[in-house]
Amino acid sequence: MEMNIYAYKCKKCGHVQYPYRTICRNCHKNEHNEFDIVPLPKSGKLLTYTNLYTLPPDFEVVTLGLGIVELEDGNKITGQLNIDKPKIGMKVKGKVEVVRRDEYNEYMGMIFYPA
Amino acid sequence: MREVYVAGIGITSFTRLEYPLIEIAAYPALMALRDSSLDKIDHLYVANMGAGRLNHQTGLASAVVDNLSLTPAGADGIENGPASGASAIKQGFLAVASGMHDVVMVIGAEKMREVNNLEATEFVATLTHPLAEYIYGVTLPSLAGMFTRLYMEKYGVTSRHLAMVAVKNHANAMLNPFAHLHEPITIEGILDSPEAATNNPFVADPLRFFDCCPVSDGAACLILTSAEVARKCGRPMVRLAGVGQATDTHAVHDRKDPTELLAVREAARQSFAMAKLKPTDVNVAELHDAFTILEIAESEEVGFFPKGQGHIALEKGLTKLGGQLPINTSGGLKAKGHPVGATGVGQAHEIVQQLRGEADKRQVKNAKIGFTCNFGGFGNNVVCLTFVREN
Repeated sequence: MEMNIYAYKCKKCGHVQYPYRTICRNCHKNEHNEFDIVPLPKSGKLLTYTNLYTLPPDFEVVTLGLGIVELEDGNKITGQLNIDKPKIGMKVKGKVEVVRRDEYNEYMGMIFYPA
Repeated sequence: MREVYVAGIGITSFTRLEYPLIEIAAYPALMALRDSSLDKIDHLYVANMGAGRLNHQTGLASAVVDNLSLTPAGADGIENGPASGASAIKQGFLAVASGMHDVVMVIGAEKMREVNNLEATEFVATLTHPLAEYIYGVTLPSLAGMFTRLYMEKYGVTSRHLAMVAVKNHANAMLNPFAHLHEPITIEGILDSPEAATNNPFVADPLRFFDCCPVSDGAACLILTSAEVARKCGRPMVRLAGVGQATDTHAVHDRKDPTELLAVREAARQSFAMAKLKPTDVNVAELHDAFTILEIAESEEVGFFPKGQGHIALEKGLTKLGGQLPINTSGGLKAKGHPVGATGVGQAHEIVQQLRGEADKRQVKNAKIGFTCNFGGFGNNVVCLTFVREN
C-alpha cells in the first residue's frame, strides 16, 4: 500500500491545512476534529533547500538535504531531499519513507527525488 | 498606564562560564542592584530556556530570588524560546506600568556550554514543529539556510553581504569587554583566501560557520521601576517607551512567503506606535542576528530600510559604528554571543548603556532612541522594545 502524508480538510469551509491545527486557520469555525483526512499530493516544485552539515545526533550521514516544496495543490511541506544538485524551481516527486531513526522508533516522512 | 524606567543594569561576559547557573543569574543582578542603589525589589522575572534540560535545574526563579536574599518578593520564570529575555522585560514593564509593582527585576540567564555544541543545537531544535519539521532533522541553522537561499534568489543578497555582517559585528565585539568572540575577522580570511573553505566551512549552505552565532553562557539584568523610584536612584533616565510582540506560524513552510518575517514587522510596528516614534527616529539598534541573514532581513522588517534593501544599506556602511544607524554595536548575537534565554535582556542592556552614554569605545554619539528585536523560534514569536533617553 502506498503511504501518504495527510493534511486536514475543514468540514466547515473546505480549507486544507498541513500540519494539523485544532482550529481551522481559514474559518475558525470548526468543532473538535471536524476535519476530513486527505492525502497531500507528492509532486511539486522545490521552493528552497539547504544541505545541513552539522547534524542532529540521530543522523549518521555526512550531510542531509532539506527543502521546502510547494505541492501541486498549493500546500507547502518541509521534507528531506535525495537530489544530487538541487535547484530552486525544479520539479520534484516525493515518497514516504523512514526519515529518522532513534533508539526506539522509526519516523516516516516525505523524501523528495528529482521528478 | 504608568511610565516605566530602567533604573539599574548588569551583565556577565557571554562566554563559557564555570559557575552554576544560579550564580550566573545572580551576578548581573548584584551589579544592577549596585547600579541602582536599590536593595529591595517587589518582583523578579527570570528568563531562561534550557535549565530543566541542560542544567538539571527547574524552578530557576525561586532559586535565584533566594540566592539574592530577596525573598519574600514574588518570582516567576519565563520560557519563551530565544525571545524569553524580551518577554520577561515585557512582563516587568506590565507589572510596573499597571501600578501593581514599583520595582521589578528582570534577569535573563542561560548555561548552554554544560553540553557540547551538537547537543545544544539539538536542544534548540526542539523549538521546531515536532511532526512537520523536527523529525526530518530540521534545526535552526537549517531553517536559516533555507531562508537565506530564498532571500539570495529574491533580493540579490550574496555570501559577501553575509560576511560583511560577520566582519562588522566581530569588529564591534572587539570593543565590548563582555562579548564572547574577541576575534577580528576579514572578508579575505572567511571568504576569498584559499584557506577560507577550511576557516569557514558550510553549516547549512549557503550559511557558513561565521554566519552562525556561538553557543554561549551568560546573563544580564535590568531593574524596571516607576518614574518616582528611578529619579531617586539617580541614574540617567532611560524610559522603556514601546513594547510590541507578535507571532507567526509554527512551521516555517506554512507561511505564504517564507522570506517575510511578519511577526518582526508587527512587533516593531506595535513598539513604535506605543512609543509614538518612527523607525527613522532610532539612533542605535540591537537586532537578533543568530544568523547573519537575520540582521539584514530584520533591518528591513522593523522599518529601517525598504524590503530587499537591507544589504544595500549594509554595503554603504550605514549600519556600522559611525554610520547613520549603527546596528549591533555590542557585537550582536553573532559575536557578543547567544545564551538563548539571556539574549533579549543582553540586547536591552547594550541599548541602555548606549543611551546613558556609557558604551565607551563603541558609544554612538548623542544616542537618544534605541531599539531591540528579540526573535524567537524561526520568527514565530518576536518581541520588540523601544527605549528613550530623557533629561
